Amino acid sequence: MAKARAIVKRLKAVKNVRKITRTMELIATARFKKAMDRATEAAAYTKKISEIVADLSKANLKFSHPLLETHATEKNAILLVLTSNRGLCGGYNSGVLRLTTRRLTELKTGAVPAEGVEAKVEPKACQLEVSGKRGIAFLKFQRVPMEKTYLHFEDKPAFDQVNELADRYIADYIDGKLDRLEIAYTKFESASRQFAVVETLLPMGDLSTTGRGTPAKTAATTEETSKQSVDYEFLPSAEEILQDIVPAAFKARLFKCFLDAAVSEQIFRMVAMKGATENASDMIKDLSKQYNRARQTQITSELSEIIGGAAALE
Amino acid sequence: MIAAAEKSTGRVTQIIGSTFDAEFPEDKLPEIYNALKVETENKGVKLKVTGEVQQHLGGGRVRCVALGSTDGMVRGMEVVDTGAAVSVPVGKGTLGRVFNLLGDPVDGRGEVQTEERWPIHRDAPLLENLSAKTEVFETGIKVVDLLTPFVRGGKAGLFGGAGLGKTVILTELIARIASAHGGFSVFAGVGERTREGNDLWLEMQETKIGNTGRSVIEQTCMVFGQMNEPPGARLRVALSALTMAEWFRDATGSDTLLFVDNIFRFSQAGSEVSALLGRMPSAVGYQPTLSTELGQLQERITSTNKGAITSVQAVYVPADDPTDPAPATAFSHLDAFIYLERKIAEKGLFPAIDPLASSSRILDPQYVGEHHYRVARRVQQILQRYRELQDIIAILGIDELSEDDKLVVHRARRIEQFLSQPFLVAEPFTGKKGNITPLKETIRSFEELCDGKWDHCSEAAFRYVGAIEEVGEQEKKLQAGV
Repeated sequence: MAKARAIVKRLKAVKNVRKITRTMELIATARFKKAMDRATEAAAYTKKISEIVADLSKANLKFSHPLLETHATEKNAILLVLTSNRGLCGGYNSGVLRLTTRRLTELKTGAVPAEGVEAKVEPKACQLEVSGKRGIAFLKFQRVPMEKTYLHFEDKPAFDQVNELADRYIADYIDGKLDRLEIAYTKFESASRQFAVVETLLPMGDLSTTGRGTPAKTAATTEETSKQSVDYEFLPSAEEILQDIVPAAFKARLFKCFLDAAVSEQIFRMVAMKGATENASDMIKDLSKQYNRARQTQITSELSEIIGGAAALE
Repeated sequence: MIAAAEKSTGRVTQIIGSTFDAEFPEDKLPEIYNALKVETENKGVKLKVTGEVQQHLGGGRVRCVALGSTDGMVRGMEVVDTGAAVSVPVGKGTLGRVFNLLGDPVDGRGEVQTEERWPIHRDAPLLENLSAKTEVFETGIKVVDLLTPFVRGGKAGLFGGAGLGKTVILTELIARIASAHGGFSVFAGVGERTREGNDLWLEMQETKIGNTGRSVIEQTCMVFGQMNEPPGARLRVALSALTMAEWFRDATGSDTLLFVDNIFRFSQAGSEVSALLGRMPSAVGYQPTLSTELGQLQERITSTNKGAITSVQAVYVPADDPTDPAPATAFSHLDAFIYLERKIAEKGLFPAIDPLASSSRILDPQYVGEHHYRVARRVQQILQRYRELQDIIAILGIDELSEDDKLVVHRARRIEQFLSQPFLVAEPFTGKKGNITPLKETIRSFEELCDGKWDHCSEAAFRYVGAIEEVGEQEKKLQAGV
């Protein structure tokens, strides 16, 4: 009986796990819809604001804004890493963190950057800022020093919270305390496609691009804008508008990263939990089979013992 | 002992399978365990059967277990009481020879020249004569030396289901130990395949002892009672072999090795005749006297102050269920316990020793030393943790583990591979040279592995290597191959 009982115990445990994973899957599905709505809305805004800035740049103005300028020497860089606070989301965090560690060594040693990352890299002091318990735990384990950690970005990152960060970055960049800002997060492209990327947010460079990973799209957008290029009248003046719009565009992009990360987390969780539920179901099937077999074996052997014993007594 | 004054004769009255009854004059009843002989010629066919008295039924009748086939026996045949138990030749003349359980040579090399014959039923050594030494017996097999160290003069058991490599490990141990060993070896083939016995015999003729140029067989005697033999033969062949080993221990005082393949067949044979003898079956159909029978055999396999018998026994585990009464009873007699696991064999890792289920009495700082003990425990802890995590990995995937646990899994998977080792006897099959890893190297290797010095190597590099340095070499080869 010992074996059958052990199987029953395991079976119960696996059934409980399946309950949890199935619930998690449902919750993630609900949250994913909300998060996706926010992300797509923000995407429209970010796109428009980029378009406007691009139009402005087309307007043949000699404009300059401190955020657009590349600093002559890049000494201080910040790598902002967006991970989740909660687990049970499959490869979501490990994907971002793998990229982070690679990028970090690139930044520190000044090795040739990976293909597609546009950066003339030289060794520099790189500070890590990490959001999300999972990432913090991982980097702590790897003994990578972190400058700042954030835990307050939940499923619905609020603009105010991001704004706070963005203001500090802008101030630091203008003051020359910060020469480069990169962000590692999971980009949300569609419900079936998300991937971990490292993007450069500062210096902003060409405003109309959204960093690496979508060169085709970028080309399309610029083409589109050039077609629709409208003559604007700037009031009070183009420069003053730029003063406002460049930081706004930066903030929008930063906020978009947070939103993307939030959606992707939910999608990853949904997929992971679906897989887990299926695995648990398979396991339950196997264990039930094993249990039935163990039980039947036991009954058979007991029966044959009784019958054998009785026969021997005759 | 063999001096039987006058031989009484009786007649066969009943034959049931491999047991038969015989009737003797009431005042000349043969004693229990006496050997009875039936030797007749019926229609030109010679018949020669030996039986062993098991019960006195009353009315002058005795019940015997036939030690050979009862085919052709009829009621009324004449039975002669030899007046003594079955005895086997003992002495140096038995070396290099192959016997059956009656002590008759079966290798076709003529008569055996020995002065003495000893009865196969003897008492276990007295308590006061037992040796109290405990010493580690090095085998050069990493997993055995580290986790289940053998005891010199002790007993080790190889437990495993069908086809997990019990016999291969046993043969390997013979090749390793016997070739480096100065004393004598006795091999008992109990109820296993005759072909394997033949292979072993040929192997022993080829294997040389150290650099002496003499083959292992010259220091070995073999006793076989294989699958084709009736249960009576399989029940007694272990005793015959043991008796020969006892002579080497008591008369020459040398270290003697006794290999038994397979002790389960002994219990099985007992259960086959048990019901025929009229005993009531006990748990799972075994004989009620299971532990008595095994105890009588096992207690004789022991080291005394005259000499030592180190024994290695293979134990078949029916249906991979170690709680089956036969293996469970055998378990309690052993110093070192090696359990072969099907899951490991399925991964293609041999020896398929389960590092967590296997154990040894002397894996204790008192005997193996603090350092060895600590390393062994660390290895077990890592593997234990990995086993606990396996359900989680199966359901949620490895990404859900904490960083500490991921590292444990990473190392445990490498340790699992590293526990495999190329065997000397498997050279023709694997194409890899057999490897003997000294104990010191083994301990150091596993310590470095636990410390994470080899985390960078791929899992495949840990497969079938000896000391840890070979992992690095194999890793280079693998990378060159890619």
